[in-house]
Amino acid sequence: MFEAFFTLFLMMLLSPISTIAVYLAVTERNLLRAVLFSALQSMCYAFLYYILMAPDIVLVYVPVSIGLYPAAILFLIRKTKECE
Amino acid sequence: MASINLYMFTFSIVVISLIVNLAISLYGVLVKLNIVKKIISLTILGDSANTFAILVGYRATYPVSPPVQVNVPPSPSDVLHLTELSVDPLPQALVLTAIVIGLAINVFLIFLAIQTYRLYGTLNMREIAGIKGGQHE
Amino acid sequence: MLLRRLITVSVLTAFIVLTSYTITVLNVLGELPPRSLRPLAFWFLNTSFTPWLNYFSAMAPETVTAILWDYRGLDTLFETAVFYFAIIASIALFRGIEEKHGGGYVGLSKIVRVVSRVLIPVNIVVAASIAIHGTITPGGGFQAGSAMAVAPLILIIVFSRFFLKEKGLSKNLLIALRGAGLVGVGVASILALALGLLSGGYAFIFQNQPKEAAPIGLPPDVLGFPAGTLLIFNLFEFIAVFAGFTIIFILLSIPEDVAREALHGKH
Repeated sequence: MFEAFFTLFLMMLLSPISTIAVYLAVTERNLLRAVLFSALQSMCYAFLYYILMAPDIVLVYVPVSIGLYPAAILFLIRKTKECE
Repeated sequence: MASINLYMFTFSIVVISLIVNLAISLYGVLVKLNIVKKIISLTILGDSANTFAILVGYRATYPVSPPVQVNVPPSPSDVLHLTELSVDPLPQALVLTAIVIGLAINVFLIFLAIQTYRLYGTLNMREIAGIKGGQHE
Repeated sequence: MLLRRLITVSVLTAFIVLTSYTITVLNVLGELPPRSLRPLAFWFLNTSFTPWLNYFSAMAPETVTAILWDYRGLDTLFETAVFYFAIIASIALFRGIEEKHGGGYVGLSKIVRVVSRVLIPVNIVVAASIAIHGTITPGGGFQAGSAMAVAPLILIIVFSRFFLKEKGLSKNLLIALRGAGLVGVGVASILALALGLLSGGYAFIFQNQPKEAAPIGLPPDVLGFPAGTLLIFNLFEFIAVFAGFTIIFILLSIPEDVAREALHGKH
């Protein structure tokens, strides 16, 4: 039963961390840090998908939302030289 | 402290934090003025909606398993065992489609934002709305 | 500023924990999460890999891939088409911007180059393995395509943005590959129909295994490896997604002064 309690504890820990990351990503003025907080939120969601027994979604979500989205938005920030 | 159902408490924490995520990212899409911030908030909004859909398919048996058949070729008791322990496979397939369509739209939005900056010189929504009649040069 | 953020974060966490505790104690939402399986899910799991049921099974141990490409194959075909149209729209938006060939020393240092030379083939092999094993383990076409799309991104950053063109992967070839992937998915969907029409009977579109009214279908395994139309779909989707992402990164890495010249003309 230890494994069941461990997964429940992880679920209980990851969800408020993702909420904190979303709040920091939306209210941060420096856009570079906002992208990094968004990648942190995606990492929490990827763990959550694994605990919810969806391995296909984890394999899509980890390259797309932690790797390719922040890379494309970093290109966008670099090209437009914005800082809000 | 009264004895609570630990499964229900954990599940409620996940549901309420997803609702709060949806609210904060919706605020980010509607209120923030910079286009890059709007795009970041839109990706978070789409991901939170997809997580909600996968959460609907979860199941509280123990031990819970993903919808994969591990014995090849199976016997009828293997298939029955899988239907007793596995989570719902249909929301996962629908979420895969939703992730790809959201990705296509967000990538196109990034390209549109770059083109907007090249033509108008700014990414602030108020300034873009105030430009009357076309380009700068 | 930091104090205000700290207060907001702690208020959010307290709100989440207290609300969920109230819901649990009051027990208003019923049994959460549920313990039983929905009838539709029971049906999917019961017919996904059952060789003894003639004319009823999809013959794939991985249920999610079978739902994506066999039970609901039409949804996935149109999702691929939507991704294709988004890439075509992005290419059309950035048309007319030529890249002249650069020269000289570009890219990052020697250590990074050597490590990239070791890791890029590993990435390609892992992605190919995810694509081919899509019917028996979690995986499939889109997962493998997006995992392999990290390789051209690293190549553009570490070497130079003309590296891919020198090695033969020009933008036109990638656009052709993307279109070929979509055409391959479309052709594989009517493969069973064509076989059925050629042999005199009839068949359905997106048919994978023999069905009751149309007893023609593709072989359920190739040398003991579960296949059918699912393997063909996974391979074509893999090529298509990889080509699509590479086009996006080639377009995004064109520097701004080249683009400004094309848009506003030389001064």
